[in-house]
Formats: sequence, structure tokens, C-alpha cells
Amino acid sequence: MAESFILGLSSGSACLVTCGMVMFPYLMAGSAGVKKIVSDVGVFLLTRLLVYFAIATLIWYFGQKFLSSQVIRTWVSGILYIVFAVMLIWYSLRRNQSKECPAGILASVENARIIPVVLGVVNSLGLCPALLIMLTKSSTEDTLVKSWLAFLSFFAGSSLWFFPLPLAGRIRKKEIIRTVGILATGLAGIIFIIKGLTILIGGIING
Amino acid sequence: MDSTLKKAGMNKSFGKSLLYTLPMLLITFMFISGGKPDFSDLSSTLAMLITFFGVNILYFLMHYTGKTDKFRAILFIVFALSLSFTLISNMMEMRNSMSFSQADILECKIPFCHLVIPMMILPAAFTKSIIFPGSIIGGFANIASMVVLWLVATLVLGRGFCSWGCFYGGWDDGFSRFRKKKVIKRISESWRWMPFAVLFMVSITAALALVPTYCDWICPFKAVTEFEQVTNVESATKAGVFLSLFGGLVIVLPILTRRRTQCSFLCPLGAINSVSNTITPFTIKIDKTNCSECMKCVEVCPLFALTSEDIKNGKVSTFCSKCGKCVDACSKHAIHFGIKGVPSGTMKNFSRNLFLFVSFLFIAVFSSGTIINSLQSLFKLIF
Repeated sequence: MAESFILGLSSGSACLVTCGMVMFPYLMAGSAGVKKIVSDVGVFLLTRLLVYFAIATLIWYFGQKFLSSQVIRTWVSGILYIVFAVMLIWYSLRRNQSKECPAGILASVENARIIPVVLGVVNSLGLCPALLIMLTKSSTEDTLVKSWLAFLSFFAGSSLWFFPLPLAGRIRKKEIIRTVGILATGLAGIIFIIKGLTILIGGIING
Repeated sequence: MDSTLKKAGMNKSFGKSLLYTLPMLLITFMFISGGKPDFSDLSSTLAMLITFFGVNILYFLMHYTGKTDKFRAILFIVFALSLSFTLISNMMEMRNSMSFSQADILECKIPFCHLVIPMMILPAAFTKSIIFPGSIIGGFANIASMVVLWLVATLVLGRGFCSWGCFYGGWDDGFSRFRKKKVIKRISESWRWMPFAVLFMVSITAALALVPTYCDWICPFKAVTEFEQVTNVESATKAGVFLSLFGGLVIVLPILTRRRTQCSFLCPLGAINSVSNTITPFTIKIDKTNCSECMKCVEVCPLFALTSEDIKNGKVSTFCSKCGKCVDACSKHAIHFGIKGVPSGTMKNFSRNLFLFVSFLFIAVFSSGTIINSLQSLFKLIF
């Protein structure tokens, strides 16, 4: 749980500072004060949570079906951790240069009321490496409850960054927060590379 | 040399420098001898005398030559080497190994180091517990004395602690002086924020797991102090991480960049000290009227604390550790030690003397015991 929370927390910071500025105008659009913004952010977060629970259930089911052997589970999860962690580092470095965000597709949504819901779905389904690491983790959990808890922790960690969203305009030194967020995402990647290596080496030693 | 010193506002003579050294001589004598010098044992007498004279000669030379960094670095590097030597020799004597066992953890026998402090804050605030298996009061390197020492130093010196108090900084400071020319010249300024990212990660992970994660998984200096006994894949991976980081950030990169890369890109305590730098009275000032913007100071800064932008703005960044390298490098004497609130270009001499007294006293008192111990161990080995 702690691992998932940290992954959410570290990747969430960079996600908010690059994506938050794209999402912010949509969440603010047509709003009448803080109450409306808070309710929109609430709907957005609730949608994310529901989508994560759905993903956790599906991926756990696939994990049980296709990763039943302990040897396969060790090898697959070890390799996937390393691959996705490298992707996470690459993703954080690349994001340092470009400010792309999947929330940009919202420009085509005309109904302002469903924007927080669409935004929640888009944000949680954006196949970022952090989510791919979570998929790997959840697929190898023993029980469905553990898979849900892992995603719940990931959601909690990443959501912490969205609470100050209504105050985004007042945050000073955004560039520094963004840089630290990107570097923290890269560090999370390194942690998962080490985790992947530990799983693989352990698997090799234990046969 | 006289004209150079006059330009810097430091008209020093042998007598004047000696006069400045006198208070240091008295205070260090009190600390080293404990007020009651004991000359009964030859090796301890020799170790005491070498340390006492060595430390005070360095301080005298700082005043006499007007140069700071060169003499600071000598003591700083000797301090780092002595600490590792003393620790390793103590452990070999006590445990016959550099590694510690689970029993040592359970008995709280692990010596405390200041790098743990950033990870203690959140757990101490929320759970009222200290997440380090060391002795709180009493014994070698106990938690209370180290925290108080660091707190005083960081409030007075700010990030100056990283160049005048840290017993690990001397390692990469030493290796950064190995080559005369840099092999890697350009490094993005963004990396300066890495210690903040590390601080963020280790604080959160330590608070969640109630384990000092930096010491457990990252600290490169485990390679020259002590580390967990290798008994399984996890502890072997940890040992691999410690050695790789020590090799990469403390040896190879400092040699290639002529910078203190571990202190600049990894140390989480450095991030906290950078924040406390904003409240400390001492600073480095840029006198814009004398500055020719040659960027020599930017070139030599070991901690990436100076950028061309900072020089144009006439203000050093919060990453500055007040090592004095930029001050020594500036031929126009446009960059100097200063006190906050005092305009740049004024009271250069007074500010430098005051800062040197405080910072050197700290490192002299803090390091002398360790240096004496290591000299004694060395004499035992040789004779």
C-alpha cells in the first residue's frame, strides 16, 4: 500500500503541474465561485476512483487467469517493473521538454456539465508509466481486495495534488514545484527499477 | 600579495593574523585538552598536539593569505577521512566487520548521523517516535547531541553546514579537486532541485514505513561507514546501491565535473540547509560596481549555487554553502563574505573575519576529537 501511495504521490506532483494547468481552465469554465469548483473537483476525483476500481478488478482477474504460475509471475512482473520504470523516467525527462496532456481532447466536449466526469475518465485512463506500474502490481496481488487497496492508495497519493487546484492561480514558483515533481517522478522510476531487479534476482536465486 | 590583500580590503600582517588566531588557539586548546592537558601517554599527546597546531595553523593561514577555501578544504577532507577511519576501526575492533546485524538494530547500537534528520521530522510529529535504532542520550554519536549540533549549525551557518560541518562532504570535495580541468562541463541547472525531490521522497517513505529509508536504501556513505549485513537478495541490492552511488556521485562525477555532485544532486539534508540559508545572518554578496561578469565564480562554484543569471541579478542563490571558493577566485574582489542587511561592497573584512571565526570554530571543535582518535588509531597501527 505504501509503495502505491508513494508512486501516486510522486507521479501526481508532475502530473498536476504539467496537466493541472490544462485541466484547470476546464474545471473553472462556467463555474460560479469556489463551491462549484469544489463540487467539480469532487466529481472529477470520484470518477477517477471508480475508474481505478474497475481497472483494479479487471487487471486482477487477468492476472489470476494468465499469471497463475509463480515462476511466470516473478519473471513477468520483474521485467515489466523494469520496463515501465524506465518508461516512467523517460516520460518524466521528456515531459520536461514538452507540455502535452491528454486533457487537451476536452476541447471537443461541448456539454460543460459532463466535463469533470470526462476529465476523470481521461485522466485515469491516460496510459502513463505510473499507471502501467500499478497494473503490474495489481495483476500479481493475491486477492481482489489487495488489488483494490493498491489502487486506492495510488488514488489517494495522486489525488492529494488536486486539492489545491482551485488555488492554482495563486501558487507562486510553479516552475520549481514542476521541476521537483518531475525529478521525484524520475526517482520513483529508479525505485521500481530496483524493485524489479530484486524480484528478478530473487527469482533466479530461488529457481 | 600585499597589493592584492589591500584591494580586497584585507591589510594583514603576520602579527595581525596571529592576533586574530589567538582566540581560536585558546578555545581549541580548551576543547582539545578538556581544560586539563594530560601528557602521560605519548601517542595521545602527539595526536593532540598535531591536531591542535594543525587546526590553528590553517586558521592563521586563512587570515594571513586572505584565502579561505584551500585551507577550509584541508580540514574538511581530513575530517571526513578521519571519521570513516575511526568508525571503521572501531567497528572492526567491536564487531570484526563493517556490517551491522539485526541484533545491533534491536539493541539501538547504530551510531546516529545528521543525514537521518529529514526523515525523523514527520514520524516524530505524527507518532511521537524516533525512527532510528540509535541511542537517544549517551553513547557514541547519540541522537540528541547530533540533532542539537546540526540545529545550531544550520541556524547560524545555513547551508554553510555543508562546507563547514558535515563529516561526509569532505569526500566529494576531495575527489572534485583531483583533476585540474573539467571533463563534463555543462549540466542543467534543473538538477540543483534534485535534493528537494529526494527530500520529498524520503520524508514521505520514512513517514509511511516508519523506517529511515535514505539510510536503509540510498546513503552512498554507507560504503565508507557501516551497512546492513548481506544475508539475502534485498540486503545485497542495498549494498549494491550504496556502492554504485558512492562510486558514481562521490568519486567519478566529482572528478569529471570538479563539483561536489553528491552534495548537489542527492543529499536531502542539503535541501533543508538551503531553506535555512534564507534565515541565517551570513551570506555571500556580489558587489556589482566591481563585478566584470567574467563568470569565473560561476565556473568554480562546487555546488552549482551560482549561475550567470545570479551574477547579473547581483545575488547568490540559496544553494550557496559559503565555502569561499568563488571569493578566492574573483580577481576583482567583487564577490565577498557578507552579513545580511549590510550593503554589498562594505565591511568586507569585518564580515569575513566574523564568519570565519564562527564557522571555523564549529568545524575545529566538531572535528578535533575525531582527528585525534584517528591519529591515535593510526599510531597504534604503525608502532
